[in-house]
Amino acid sequence: MEVCGISNVTLRDFSCEQSLLSRPDGSSSFMQGDTSVLAGVYGPAEVKVSKEIYDRATLEVLIQPKVGLPSVKERSQEQNVRETCEASLLLSLHPRSSLTLVLQVLHDDGSLLSCFLNAACMALMDAGLPMSCLFCGVTCAIAVDGEIITDPTAAQEKECRALLTFAIDSKKCRVMMSSTKGSFSVQELQQCIAISQKASEKIFQFYRDSVQRRYSKNL
Amino acid sequence: MQIEISPNVFVQRLDGRQTYDYRRIKVSFGADYGCCFVELGETRVMAQVSCELVAPKESRPNEGILFFNIELSPMASPAFEAGRQSELSVKLNRQLERCLRNSKCIDTESLCVVSGEKVWQIRVDVHLLNHDGNLMDAASIAAITALSHFRRPDVSSVGEEITVFSPEERDPIPLCIYHMPISVSFSFFQQGTYLLVDPCEREERVMDGLLMIAMNKHREICSIQSSGGIMLLKEQVMRCSKIASVKVSEINELISKALENDKRARKAGERCGYAASLPRGRITALKMDETLVDMTTVMDTAKEIIQEAAVPSEPSSAKHTRAASPVVPAPGVGQVGLGLENSWGLEEDVDEEDEGKGEEEPQMEEQHHERKPRRGVDVVEISDSEEEEVVILHP
Amino acid sequence: MAAGFKTADLLEYYRRFLKENCRPDGRVLLEFRPTTLNIGSISTADGSALVKVGNTTIICGIKAELATPTVEAPGKGYIVPNVDLPPLCSSRFRPGPPGEPAQACSQFIADLIESSEIIQTDDLCVERGKLCWVLYCDLMCLDYDGNLRDACVIALLAALKNTQLPEAVISTETHLPVVDLEKRHGLKVCKHPVASSFCIFDESTLIVDPTDEEENLSTARITVVTEEGDRLCAVHKPGGMSLSGQKLQECINRATVRQKEIQKLTDKVLSSVKTS
Repeated sequence: MEVCGISNVTLRDFSCEQSLLSRPDGSSSFMQGDTSVLAGVYGPAEVKVSKEIYDRATLEVLIQPKVGLPSVKERSQEQNVRETCEASLLLSLHPRSSLTLVLQVLHDDGSLLSCFLNAACMALMDAGLPMSCLFCGVTCAIAVDGEIITDPTAAQEKECRALLTFAIDSKKCRVMMSSTKGSFSVQELQQCIAISQKASEKIFQFYRDSVQRRYSKNL
Repeated sequence: MQIEISPNVFVQRLDGRQTYDYRRIKVSFGADYGCCFVELGETRVMAQVSCELVAPKESRPNEGILFFNIELSPMASPAFEAGRQSELSVKLNRQLERCLRNSKCIDTESLCVVSGEKVWQIRVDVHLLNHDGNLMDAASIAAITALSHFRRPDVSSVGEEITVFSPEERDPIPLCIYHMPISVSFSFFQQGTYLLVDPCEREERVMDGLLMIAMNKHREICSIQSSGGIMLLKEQVMRCSKIASVKVSEINELISKALENDKRARKAGERCGYAASLPRGRITALKMDETLVDMTTVMDTAKEIIQEAAVPSEPSSAKHTRAASPVVPAPGVGQVGLGLENSWGLEEDVDEEDEGKGEEEPQMEEQHHERKPRRGVDVVEISDSEEEEVVILHP
Repeated sequence: MAAGFKTADLLEYYRRFLKENCRPDGRVLLEFRPTTLNIGSISTADGSALVKVGNTTIICGIKAELATPTVEAPGKGYIVPNVDLPPLCSSRFRPGPPGEPAQACSQFIADLIESSEIIQTDDLCVERGKLCWVLYCDLMCLDYDGNLRDACVIALLAALKNTQLPEAVISTETHLPVVDLEKRHGLKVCKHPVASSFCIFDESTLIVDPTDEEENLSTARITVVTEEGDRLCAVHKPGGMSLSGQKLQECINRATVRQKEIQKLTDKVLSSVKTS
């Protein structure tokens, strides 16, 4: 029960490219190991009258699966990503306008939801939208023997007993979003949150490095 | 009206290309089999091939099924709406079907497992990621390359039992492709005075007409389609088909090279896929190697939080640490939380209100039904008294 | 006067109450609304339950049908939950295909069934690779006043415990399934998960079992699902205001108490049905 594999807590290699698409106002691709997601942001633009909100912008998040049409599973992921973005974006600065965030799965090799969040944050940054804080996604898997694995691959996800994904904010390192699968104990939950908070530091450092590199003019 | 395309007219295109130039084409592959990315200038397309065992069509019991789906993702252009079939998507879908299904470039009979019962359905999903013109050419290159890259699982059928082998058990099998048709688009301006190959989005916006020729490297035309309402002369079409044959053989060579490279890389066990093809020399791209997360304080933090919360910090939350016992007023009906710990002193009223609502339940006694109207009046009074209470609390 | 204040600035109206550790409907912050459970409300369904949490009313009907198992899992049956939010239950739902709240809730229930393993899907198999039961769990909201998820979970669980499956066999002569409607047996429900929903007001005020109004005004929503033995099978927070581990622990502690309460309620009502 109390076993906690300290050795296995690594994040796979990360890479990210911003502004890679010409049409969207902001775009990014984010890779965690082989898992890759492409994100594009449009807006602030004109909003449909039926979706208009008088005191803030309307954010729409669309997740496009690789094969077939979006299903109920994508809808629920969309809700998670949208409400996380809504909490960090300063939407009241663009009232009566629309923001659209489209996320395209390029390859799923585990930790997909956290990759969606990371790609979304990088794309929102690239679009230059005002945000109160940044956010990142971390996925933890709890193996059958109680060992905690961060950023699991698809094979590790299949074997694990529980899968927890958190969105962590950059301001206070607290939990913005939580989505879980499988059953786990209270201890395991708190350990996973603590690990995610530690891992988020690394991801935020990566965000900072990539922004610094962009504006530094030298490779 | 000038009818001849005069090559003497010097045409300068917005992006500096010559009349017959294609933009830069880049073909790369995903980590899965049957996943292909195509960049045509700024236009970006992804194709993914998948397969499934289904019952065949009644009219063709021993042929596999090919299914094409072009997704105009709202990422590609703000004009595209999610989940809606637009005129453009129908047109592109039709053209892709004509180019790849009706040309019989794929052997569908080899996709039959049990005649009349089980065949493979090959599904091609083409996602448009960035729209900078000439979507059709990019989509056709992506689709045929993905089909050539795809491997389906091996199957065996003994009697009624059909076994599908995983890639570990038996090597997956490529599709049988006879030839590779590729679409080449020509845009016409001023009633056919000017002709441009591979129009970009800005050129497409002002063009008068479009001619799409799908051709394979044996210079066989698989489909020809003219749209936009311009009349073309025989000579113009002939000229276009000549240009197309040159372009098709160039693109075919590019695809074969890309397929070969990928095959070699996979054999050598190199890392392939989208993540591996990230450009290095750009300031907008960054890579970070695998990192270790510092775990030294994690266990303590988790323990601390749990212990801290075990002691209720406020006296008000203390009463919520024991479970209340439920009440069963009638068989099949139970209630919990009737005016529990109600600091407003309205227990009885709330109680009655809920019983009144409970009467919707079928098992309630007759007597309750009779009392219902009076209860309704009670409810109104409760809400009234609540408002009065508010005034007292915050004068 | 109070009514005018409420109309003018609803959020401020709520803040005044929350500052005094109570809510406009008379509850304290961590208090649930009265919960009423009725089991076996629909006689034509194989299992049913009606739940009221305050004004929120959910009815759940379970229909069992025979089907062929999937190729991937030949020894298992399956459960198909569906949450419906018809225009009847609130003015904010429109007729037509299910909207995002309904779809997200359906997915939440489906995930919950999978995570908590309420029912061993092996039990639903009649004959391996040939015949199995499919349980269609339709959850219909009759009145929407917030906290949909808690009510749905209680209704689903009570309805599953109430379900009586007829006996089915494949006849050896005709190779067709034969159903004996007279002989029925209950489902084996192994776990007892209970959901507890919370809302965060402003920065840190935590309230339990929010009404529709409270849900709209809040900055974040959390649903914690607990089982017996203090196990968790879902901590769902779709986004919104960020929350510390400590605050989350408070939610979990309240949820464990609620789990015991609801388990007692369900058991007591079930036994009252059996004895009568």
